[in-house]
This record gives sequence, C-alpha cells and structure tokens, in this order.
Amino acid sequence: MTESVAATPPAAPASREAVVRIEGLCKSFDGRLVLDRVNLEVPRGSIVSVIGQSGGGKTTLMRCVNLLERPDRGTVEVAGEVVHQGGRTVCRDLPRLRRTVGMVFQRFHLFPHLTAVENVVLAQRKAGVPEERALERAVALLRRVGVAHRALAQPEQLSGGEQQRVAIARALALTPEVLLFDEPTSSLDPEATREVLSVMRELAADGMTMLLVTHELPFAREVSDHVVFVDGGRIVEEGRPTDVLDTPAEARTREFLASYGTAS
Amino acid sequence: MSGLFEVPWSDYRPDLIDALGRTVSYTVVSFAGAVLLGLAVALLRLSRAWPARALAAVYTEVFKNVPLLAIIFLTYFGLASAGIRLDVFTAGCLSLVVFYAAYLSEIFRSAISGVHAGQTEAGEALGIGRAGIFGHVVLPQALRLALPGTNTMLVDLLKSTSLLVTVSAAELMSEGRLITSATFRALEVYLVIAAIYFALCYPLSQLLLLLERKVRSGVPLSPRRRRRLRAARALLAAEPAARVPAKEASA
Repeated sequence: MTESVAATPPAAPASREAVVRIEGLCKSFDGRLVLDRVNLEVPRGSIVSVIGQSGGGKTTLMRCVNLLERPDRGTVEVAGEVVHQGGRTVCRDLPRLRRTVGMVFQRFHLFPHLTAVENVVLAQRKAGVPEERALERAVALLRRVGVAHRALAQPEQLSGGEQQRVAIARALALTPEVLLFDEPTSSLDPEATREVLSVMRELAADGMTMLLVTHELPFAREVSDHVVFVDGGRIVEEGRPTDVLDTPAEARTREFLASYGTAS
Repeated sequence: MSGLFEVPWSDYRPDLIDALGRTVSYTVVSFAGAVLLGLAVALLRLSRAWPARALAAVYTEVFKNVPLLAIIFLTYFGLASAGIRLDVFTAGCLSLVVFYAAYLSEIFRSAISGVHAGQTEAGEALGIGRAGIFGHVVLPQALRLALPGTNTMLVDLLKSTSLLVTVSAAELMSEGRLITSATFRALEVYLVIAAIYFALCYPLSQLLLLLERKVRSGVPLSPRRRRRLRAARALLAAEPAARVPAKEASA
C-alpha cells in the first residue's frame, strides 16, 4: 500500500511546452541503422508511451534523451536546451542534464552495496544536497512509493517489485523534469508489475512528465496522452492511445497489436 | 633425554620481538605499496589508450613469471652492482611491492570489470560525475569482489617475507638462522620460527574471513555510513512529515 500521494496539480495546458523534443534523430550501431529520422515531443505534464517489438529501437530512442547513447544525427532538446545536435554533444554539463532527466531501468540497476535509502541518497549528495535534507527526502520518497519499511534492506533482500519502486524513488530524488521508464515491468511477475504500475499511475495523476517504453499495452492505453508505435527504427504511427491501439491506421501497427492479442 | 627445548629462549626474546616487528613492518609497508601499485596497473590495463594497456600487460606478465627470489637478488645485489645501493629494508619492500602488485593488479582488474556495466549507467543516468561513479559505485563493489583474492595475497606476502633471509633482512627467518648458528639446534629453532609464522598468519586469515563476511552482508564499516543509517532509522521511526511532490517548485 502506498502512503502520502503528492498533490501537485497537473500542469496547466497553457504551460505545455515540450520538456523533450527530438528531431530527425538517426542512430546506427556497427553500420546497422537502429533509428531513422525520428521526431518525438514530450509536452510538460504529459505521458508519452513508445511501443513496438523488441529490437525496434525503442530503448535506444529513450537512451538518446539523457545521452546514454549519442545520436549520429538530429537534435535532442531537453527542458528548452539543445543538448545534442548534428552528431555532437552541445551540452557542456552532462551531469546537470541527467539530473533533469530521471531514468528507471528494466533491470533496476540499484547499487547492491548500499541499502535502499542510501540508493536514494547517493546522487543527491553528489549533487550537493546537504546530508540531512537528502536523507529526509529519501525517506519521504520511499514512503511515497510504499517501501519505507524496507529502507534499510540491501537490494538483494528486496523483491523485484520493491527494487523497482526503490529505483523509482531514486530517479525522483533529484526532482527531474521528466522521467524515462525503460520497460519498467518487463522483468517482474504479475504481482510486482501491479505494484509498480500503481506507483506510476500515481505519478501520472500528480502531473509528472513521463516517457515510457513498455509492453504493457492496457497500461499505456490507460495513462498515456500520446502513443508512438516504433518499428524498424521508424515511427510508423502515433496519436491518441485510443486511435493507435484501438483503430490503428497502418497495417504494420495492426499486425503488431494482433500479435499481442489486444487489437479490437 | 636431551630435551627438544634446550635453546635458552628467554635470552633471545628481545631479538625475536625485534625480528617479529620487522616482519610485520615488511608486510604492512609492502602490502600497502603493492595495493597502490596494483590498483594503478589495473586501471592502466582498463584504460582506453592501448599503449597504457600494453605497458601494464607487460609489467604484469614480467613480474608474474619471474621468481620472487630472483627479484630480491636483482634489487639488492643487482642494482648495487649498477651503482644503485638500496638499504635492505627498501630493497626488500621494493621486491615484494613489484612482485605482489602484479598479482593484485590481476585481481583488481577482474573485480573492476566484474562490476556490471549497468551500474555505471545507473550512476550516469543519476548525473553523478565520472570520479563519483568510480569512487561510490564501482570501487566499493569491486572491493567486495576483490576481497577474497586480496586477503589470500596478504597472507602469502607475510609468509614470503621469510625469503628475505637471503639478504639478511633481520626479520624472523634471519633471526632464526642467527640463533641456529649460535646453538646448532636447527630443528628446535625452526619449529619455533614456524610456530610464530603460524601464530601470525592463522588469526590474520580468520580475521580477514570475518571481514569478508561482514562486508558481504552489508554491515556498514565506515563511521560516516553508520551515522547515515542511524539518522535514517530515526527518520523512519518518526511520523511521516509533509508529503513529497515528485516535482518541487523550481526556484
């Protein structure tokens, strides 16, 4: 059960500038084109879900936002600042960029030598937050995602769902402007998936800006403002979740959805 | 019966204590040096620049494949004949450092590359700088992986200080040789010397095993971590304070 849900109102439509803007993004690995002229926009306070087959470039697209992957071409803009353009990183202060972008990984990647609460404290301390405030915020965030009772446990003592919720608290610790979720429930069992999705639902209700790569199509339909179907490194179709997921226009989208048994 | 113990040990006690202290000094100084040099060599081997990698690889292979005794003779007698005269303590420590650094560098290298790449990425994604990631994410985990091998090397180094008898380093083994030449009771003397080595090494290795277990179970060893966890426990015991918004109003 999660306690204390924050009551930040969703951003007003008037302030809907893009927190993430990607234009003409190309990326290849060893000569194989993984992303081909992709455009993507995540307006403030909105939730954009990227769906598609594994190996279709979804994760690479997401990793280009905080420059864990450097695009070959195109522009990446985060919080109004161009950070990467024409194959060159323009952002001089990568750590600062990455503190405005929180990321949650498929395999959690918690720091196994630290307790849950220390996992949430570490980056704050490195960013110059005073010890006491960092700890207070860490404990409050762990309460918020419902794992405060496990705050002093090592990651290996936590269940998958608990680990992923700690990872979400860790990503929230630096008050990012946008959260990236890279298949956050793909390595979880159904029960843990429910726990994590419920935390994400609350974040959505709080107006958190999110970019989500997911295989949870019903969840994507429920929370997203915008759904993007990526296949073979290109955006095949995008639009409102009901449009893309229920009445897809493209044959390739229909094929993909049929393979999930969710096309109606 | 000519008893097994006929050497007047009480007369030799001060000398033996001196020698014991010297064995410990050789061990501590050489091990500290070997850890530092070993870490440096391991980092070179993981460097992106190939000349650095090559240099480190050559170093490791050379010193892993030359006997320690040959290295001791080279630093003490060899360098002296080339005009570089090192005192016996410096030569002894230098030999042990360069020899054990080669092995430790291999242990450290595999430990550092054994830390999952996702850990570095998680650190990057959290906006932690390169030094911070190495110091707070990679190194502590590598340390856990390296601890068993490193501990074995420490005990091995302690025992290897006995090879310094060949340059009369005045450590335990040299003292044993002196007592033997004065009393002609080799069996008795070397049994006692062996017992002293055992009395040093056995508790040391047990202590290190205990340390390994503590580190593995996540027991906080540094005062700073203990303070932090105490403060966290106090906060957790307190009533939940104000709610935390995901996004604080930006200043």
